[in-house]
Amino acid sequence: MNRRNFLSLTGTFTAGSLILPDFLHAFGTQNNLVIGDQCVVFVQLNGGNDGLNTYIPFQDELYYKSRPTIALSKEEVIAGNNGMAFHPSLKDFATMQQNGDLSVIQNVGYANPVRSHFRSQEIWQTAPTNQEYLNQGWLGRYLDFQCNDHEPTAGINIDSIDNLALKGEEPNSITVKDPDRFTTKQTTDNSEQLSGNPQLDFVRKIANSVVEGSDAIQDALKKSTASEVNYTKNGLSKNLEWIARLIKGNLHSKVYYTSMGGFDTHDNQLAIHQNRLKELNDAVFSFYNDLKKAQLLSNVTIVVFSEFGRRVADNGRGTDHGTAAPMFIIGGNNQGKVIGSNPNLSDLDKGDLIHQIDFRSVYASLLEQKLNFSANKIGIKNSPLKGLF
Amino acid sequence: MKNEILWSLRLGFSTEQSKTIEKLGIEGFLKQSFGAPYNTTVPDLLNDSPKTFEDFKAIRKIKKEDPEKSKELIKKESQTLHELKAWWIEQIISNDFPLREKMTLFWHNHFVTSSQKVKVNYWLFQNNQLYREEAFGNFRTLTKKVLQTNAMVRYLDNTDNKKGKSNENLSRELLELFTLGIGNYSEIDIKNGAKGLAGLGLGIDGAKYHPFYEDNDPIEYLGKKGVLKMNEMVDAIFDHPKIPYLLTKKIFQWFIYDQPKEELIHYYGNYFKKVNFEIKPLLVKIFTEEFAKKETAGAKIKNPLEYSLELVDELHIENPNINALVLFLRQQGMDLFNQPNVKGWDGGNSWLTSQIYLQRNNLADLLCNGRNFNRQKSPAENNIPKKQSVTVSLEWNPNENNKEIIKELTDRTLFAVDKSSQEDFEKILKYDFDPKSPGANNAVLRLFNAIVKSPEFQII
Repeated sequence: MNRRNFLSLTGTFTAGSLILPDFLHAFGTQNNLVIGDQCVVFVQLNGGNDGLNTYIPFQDELYYKSRPTIALSKEEVIAGNNGMAFHPSLKDFATMQQNGDLSVIQNVGYANPVRSHFRSQEIWQTAPTNQEYLNQGWLGRYLDFQCNDHEPTAGINIDSIDNLALKGEEPNSITVKDPDRFTTKQTTDNSEQLSGNPQLDFVRKIANSVVEGSDAIQDALKKSTASEVNYTKNGLSKNLEWIARLIKGNLHSKVYYTSMGGFDTHDNQLAIHQNRLKELNDAVFSFYNDLKKAQLLSNVTIVVFSEFGRRVADNGRGTDHGTAAPMFIIGGNNQGKVIGSNPNLSDLDKGDLIHQIDFRSVYASLLEQKLNFSANKIGIKNSPLKGLF
Repeated sequence: MKNEILWSLRLGFSTEQSKTIEKLGIEGFLKQSFGAPYNTTVPDLLNDSPKTFEDFKAIRKIKKEDPEKSKELIKKESQTLHELKAWWIEQIISNDFPLREKMTLFWHNHFVTSSQKVKVNYWLFQNNQLYREEAFGNFRTLTKKVLQTNAMVRYLDNTDNKKGKSNENLSRELLELFTLGIGNYSEIDIKNGAKGLAGLGLGIDGAKYHPFYEDNDPIEYLGKKGVLKMNEMVDAIFDHPKIPYLLTKKIFQWFIYDQPKEELIHYYGNYFKKVNFEIKPLLVKIFTEEFAKKETAGAKIKNPLEYSLELVDELHIENPNINALVLFLRQQGMDLFNQPNVKGWDGGNSWLTSQIYLQRNNLADLLCNGRNFNRQKSPAENNIPKKQSVTVSLEWNPNENNKEIIKELTDRTLFAVDKSSQEDFEKILKYDFDPKSPGANNAVLRLFNAIVKSPEFQII
């Protein structure tokens, strides 16, 4: 990637593109004027997050009828507005909404929904037109176009394995297994868990030191300022805090991707879901505050999604795999609206919600409005979702 | 990992021989390997390469008179050397019983004659062919034969070793690196050895003594006295009590353990001496007895050739770009015919640095994505979807579920799978993965890609 071109291409006002001279960077702190690097941070909720218990139709009697054991009462839910309210664990999502920094996109999904985790994630990660099988991810295809030669840090994935969404023709993204290894590189060498096999220990040590682009990352970490925000201690927080440091250190990555698991709540849903959403809430809110203090929130768009929602009716202690669910967009100068109508619990397909907004139109909107890239170049034919940015 | 698979990897370059090992048993397999046919012809690529003294004379003349043409010749010979490396890789890939080629590589890395100094490709080939022919021969005989090669006397400067003006290089390495190992001889032995070797220089069919430069004074060498020449010196070396251990250790390191235990080296070394330094019985004894032991896997870091050829085999790549593979090996620190020094490639941990590990992972990504070894893309090609340059196919059973497929693949690729790797693999192939779906093959390839990038895949 030619970094300079990349920068100038993405230096945009909220509408239309404009190549900006450097001195205009001073305007970066003004509201509604987005200057400098734009990036998108994806938070994938693995397992199929129960949308109906996340953003809740608390005034719909059908909701309580369908979910006698796991429905959240009108008293529990928070920030009710226009028939919808947040799960009590998501109190800071409500705050961000109140600040005008969070959009909810309702009933997001795709036609002929698949209820397999494996396949549905594959669909979300590859964004095919008619569910054809693709071997490259939608972000990987985008980065292939954006990067002239391969640029290992154009996309950053924090996970123990590579992410299909970022897989392209060229290795334009890297997978970082453990951000801690970067932050305390000098001191972790001895903390390696030993396997008892000297050959394996040796190779693991090497493997851990190997990340293409690690110099660029180290450099960004060095330049970055420390967080003024205290992140709560959990896995997602750690990843987001680290991403914040890279953004603040000017790594110029276009895409960050991380995920959290535990949303496959077939059983014991109330307790599990509450914990998961709390972790999500705390991590994202800390990240949000961190970016806000650094005056970078308008440059960073956070996207929270899951491979599918869950069945409308509960199964006694939890819910089975379903279809459409809300997506949350935070930061990036989004319009802070609730887009789409409230879930229609009276018109179901085999007990599942019928999607109203195609996830690919959200992708198109991110690509065109945030990354200044024409979505149909990578085979996304849906027009961008209106009213998001 | 099944024992047969492990030993197919140890004795060859892929899991391809595991079925044969299963069928014939390890001993039967070794017997077949010893008797398997191999290429004995001089490859065509050497047709125009200088071979005789007349050829060299002609070249010397050109070098003096026509610097332009001389440059051309040098370029041509460097191309020939590249082709020779590719030719060798072809031999390795095409042999159904690759043990002979693996042993040839072993000798190639034991009796090193590198192209850095030996500029006659035909000589390099001659040594290579000698190691192939004598792969399962006799250590003492081979040592004698190696001393009679032009490549060796040239490489270790014995061409400069003359009576009254000695050069000790060959005499020293003969003891230090080829046979006894450091600490088992004195500096006087080295000096006297150089006298015994004085005058051993280039010849038409191989190295020979040139009477004018010979030193025929009696010497004392490793306790033996008399007018000792090359052959008598080698015999004196092989009478030394320490002779069997260095080579036994190196065989262990080449095939099985990066760090073999001393007692193993002694046990098998003593046997090596008992069978009069015959390689076949030594290999049979080591391989059958170690084969019978359980849980010996995970003891050796794969060399670049073992690493890359296993990938090529697993992915059933019919047309690997051998020329690019030659360059990959060089990047990886295993340039054929060109070891950095007379000690050869150190092997073990020195095969891997973070850079090399990264290159290996990049190669794995490339091949798993159906692209050939070389990934240089011209600027004009940018943004054009790249055509697949190789067809890859992976063997797996579509009647199995996700865990069974993970097991099937890891059983033949990883010596061990710990809990966290297993979890990672199950993140790629989830429990509701449908093996019958049209995209299943790509998903399994992504799994395979992750498997071969794990640290465990670097080790056998």
